Amino acid sequence: MDLIAQTLADGLVLGGIYALAAVGFSLIFGVLHVINLSHGILVLLGAYLALLFSEALHIDPLLCIPAVMAVLFCIGYGYQRFLIQHAVDRASVNSMLLTFGVALMLQNVMIWLFSPDMKSITPSYAFNSFKIGPVNFDAVRVSALIASLILLSLLAAFLRYSPMGRVIRATAQQTMAARLCGVNVRHVYALTFAVSAAFAGAAGIVIGIILPFSPNDEGTWTLNAFVVVVLGGVGSPAGALIGGLLLGLVSTLTAQYIGPAFPNVTMFLLLVLLLLVRPHGLLGNAFAPSR
Amino acid sequence: MSLLEVRGLSKNFRGLAAIGDVSFAIAEGSITSIIGPNGAGKSTLFNLITGYLAPSAGEVRFKDRRITGLATNRIAELGVARAFQIARPFRELSVFDNVRIGALFGKAGPRDVEATTRRALELASIAHLATQPASALTVGQLRHLEVARAIATRADLLLADEPCAGLNPTETAAMIDVLRQVRRNGVTVVLVEHDMPSVMEVSDRLLVLDAGRLIADGPPPVVANDPKVIAAYLGTPDAA
Amino acid sequence: MKQNPKLIAAVVVLAIVLLAAGPAFLPPFYVRVGQLMLYSAGLGLAWAILGGFAGYASFGHSAFIGIGAFAAGLVENQYSSLPPTLLLPLGLVTGALCCAILSAVIAYPILRLRGTFFAIAMLGVSHVGAELTNNIDFFQGALGLNFPPLAPAAMDPAVFYYELFLGGALLILLISWLIRRSRFGAGLFSIREDEDTARMLGVPTERYKRVAFVVSAVLTGLMGVIYAHSLGYITTDSVYRDDTNLSLIVYSLLGGMGTLFGPVIGAGLLVFITQVILGRLLDFHLFATGLLLVLLILIAPGGVNGLLHRKRRPA
Repeated sequence: MDLIAQTLADGLVLGGIYALAAVGFSLIFGVLHVINLSHGILVLLGAYLALLFSEALHIDPLLCIPAVMAVLFCIGYGYQRFLIQHAVDRASVNSMLLTFGVALMLQNVMIWLFSPDMKSITPSYAFNSFKIGPVNFDAVRVSALIASLILLSLLAAFLRYSPMGRVIRATAQQTMAARLCGVNVRHVYALTFAVSAAFAGAAGIVIGIILPFSPNDEGTWTLNAFVVVVLGGVGSPAGALIGGLLLGLVSTLTAQYIGPAFPNVTMFLLLVLLLLVRPHGLLGNAFAPSR
Repeated sequence: MSLLEVRGLSKNFRGLAAIGDVSFAIAEGSITSIIGPNGAGKSTLFNLITGYLAPSAGEVRFKDRRITGLATNRIAELGVARAFQIARPFRELSVFDNVRIGALFGKAGPRDVEATTRRALELASIAHLATQPASALTVGQLRHLEVARAIATRADLLLADEPCAGLNPTETAAMIDVLRQVRRNGVTVVLVEHDMPSVMEVSDRLLVLDAGRLIADGPPPVVANDPKVIAAYLGTPDAA
Repeated sequence: MKQNPKLIAAVVVLAIVLLAAGPAFLPPFYVRVGQLMLYSAGLGLAWAILGGFAGYASFGHSAFIGIGAFAAGLVENQYSSLPPTLLLPLGLVTGALCCAILSAVIAYPILRLRGTFFAIAMLGVSHVGAELTNNIDFFQGALGLNFPPLAPAAMDPAVFYYELFLGGALLILLISWLIRRSRFGAGLFSIREDEDTARMLGVPTERYKRVAFVVSAVLTGLMGVIYAHSLGYITTDSVYRDDTNLSLIVYSLLGGMGTLFGPVIGAGLLVFITQVILGRLLDFHLFATGLLLVLLILIAPGGVNGLLHRKRRPA
C-alpha cells in the first residue's frame, strides 16, 4: 500500500516536470503547426547553460532560470525567424526535417564541448528529504516540481491575459484573419518560438537537477514532449500538465511494477495507441474553433 | 432487371431530412440526369449510393445485389465508378499512368491493361495528353481525366458529379460528347448537373429532387413542363 | 526516346563488373569508402520502397538495422561451432525473419497513422528498440556483441565485405526496379499521390502498405547483418542511430524522392562529402549530416532531381 502511494506520488512529481518539459513543444505545434524535433536539444541546452552558470557563479541552479530563459528566448527567436520560417511550406515534413537536422548539429557540438558523459547539477540541498504520511519526498524533486508549476502558471497567465498572449492565440486560431488585422505573423511566430525555447531551457534546468543528462538524450525529451501533447492536447499549459501527469504516472508505475527498462516502451505503446484512438488528446487542440 | 435500384432511401442529419424516401430505377445503357435546386440533396444522394454515407432508411441495389452499407472501395470493385466535381488526379503521375491505375485495379482485374487504358483515354478524348503530368492539365481536362480513370476500371455504372461545373460552353459540349461516347461503349451514366441545355439534350431521363424528395421522374420534355418542377425552380406566381 | 535494351543490359553488366573489380585497383581507404557507399545505397533504396514509392517517410528505419544485426549476432554466437559458410546465411535468415515478423506486427497499428504522425511513431520504434536492446541483458546491447570472422582466409576482409555490400545493394536495386515495373509498384505510387482516391479505384491500399513496410524492413535488416559483421563488434549505439535515421531520408531528398537511382546518388554524394571531404573531422559526422540536410531544405526542397525537374517544366 505504501509502495503504491510512493509510486503514485513520484509519478505526479515527475509528471509536473514532464509537463514543463513539453509545454514549449506543445505551443509550437499548436501555433506554428510545426513539429519541432530540436525541442529536446533546446532542453539540454538549458541544462548545460545552467551547469555552467551555477558552477561559475556558485549560485543555486534554480536561480539561473531567468538568465537561461533569456538566452534561449533570443536563440529561439532567431532560429524561427531566420531559419525555420524559410523551410515552412505546405509539406510540414520540411520543418520536421530541418529541426531534426539542427538537432543533430547541436548534439554534435554539445558532445564536442561537453563530452558525451552523463552530467548532473547538484544543488546544495541535494540530499534532503521529508515525509508526508507514508510517502517520502525528495527535496530536489519537490523544488523542481514547484518551479515547474510556477512557470506553467506564468505561461498560462501570459497566454490568457496579456495582450501578446491574445495575439498569439488569435494567430493560432485564424492566421489569415490575424494578418488582415495587421498582425505581423512572422514576428508572432518567432515570439512564440522564443517563448517556447525559453520554457524548454527552464525545463532543462529543472530536469538537470533531478536526472543525469547527456547530449544523447535529446531524442528522448522530444519524444516525451510528443507523448505529453498526444495525451493531454495541443497548445495549452493545462493540456501539457494533464499529459505530463499521466506520463509521469505511467513512467513510475511501469518502472516499479514491470521493470526499470520499460518506461519508455510503455510510453511509446501509449503513444501509438493514442495516435490511433484519440490523436487530439484529452483536452484537444486549444486553438481549434469552439463548437 | 435495372442496373441500379434505389428503394425508399432516406438520410437524416440531426432531424433534417436531407433525402426523404427516394425511389427510382436506372436502366442499363441509359443516361440519367439528376437535377434540382441547390441544396436539394443531389450530392448526398450520390454519397449514399457510393457508400460514403450510410442511409437512415431504405436500400440501394446494384445488379440486383444489395450494396447499402458496403465500404466505398468494395462498391467500386463491384462496378460503380464516380467522377468528382473537384478532380483528384495523381498529380505527379502522367495522364496515362493515372488512367492505368484504374485499369490495373478495376473491376475485371489486370487484363489487357495497356489496351484498356488507351481505350479509356480515347473515349474521354484525352489520348493526346497521355504523356503530360496530371498537374499540367486544365480544370476541363482534369474532368475528362476523372471520367477516363473511372471507365478504365471497367465499371458498369458511372456517377458523374457536376462534370460541367465551371466549364465554358466549348468545354461543356466536349464533356457531354464524352458522356455520350461512354454510353455508346456500354457504360450506364448517371449525372448530377445544373447546365440545363446540356442536360435536356443528352439525357434519356430526368430525376428532379427538391428538398430531398423526388418530385418528378421522366423524359426531359415531360419533366420540363411539369408544374411541380417549375415551381421548385422558379416558385409559384402567388409567392412573388 | 526508346533505348536499345541490349545496350542497356551491356552497360549494366559492365558497371557491375567494374564495381566488383574496384577493390583490386583502389587503396584501402577507398575500399572502405566504397563499402560505406554501397551499404548506404542499399539502405537508402530499401527505405525508399516505403518512403519514396508509397510516401510513408519513416524517421526510424535504423530500428531494422538494429533488429537484424542483433538477431544475427545472437544466433551466430549460439551456434558458433558452425563453419562460416553456414554462419553467414544463418545470420542473414535470422535477421531477415526477425525483421519480417516484427515489422508485420507493427505494421497493423502504425500504418494507420499518416504523414508526420507516422514519421514520429517510427522514430519512437527506433528509440524503443535501442532502449530495449540496451537494458535487457539477453540482447547484450550495452555489453556489446562479437561477430565471428567470416572472410575466407585467402581474401582481405575489407574486400570480402565490399563484395557482400555490393551484392546486397544490387539485390535491393533489382527488387526496387522490379517493384517499380509491377502492378504493386503502380499501386504504391497511387497511394503516395492520393491514398483515398487510390482506394476508391480499387487499390488494396492497406495490404500494399504492409507489404512495402515488411519488404523495406527485411531488406534494411539484411544490410544491417552484413554491416554488423563488417564491424566485428557492435553495441546498441553502433546500429540504432539517429543520424542513420536521418541519412536514409536525406539520400532520397538529395538524389530525388521516389526515383530508382535517387537513393544511390544521394548516398554516394553524402558519403563522399562526409568521408572524403570531411574525413579528418571524424567527430563531426552528425554535424555534417545535419548541416547538409538544413542546406538542402533551404535551397532545394526537391533534391537534386527536383532541381532538374524545375528547369524542364514549362513556366
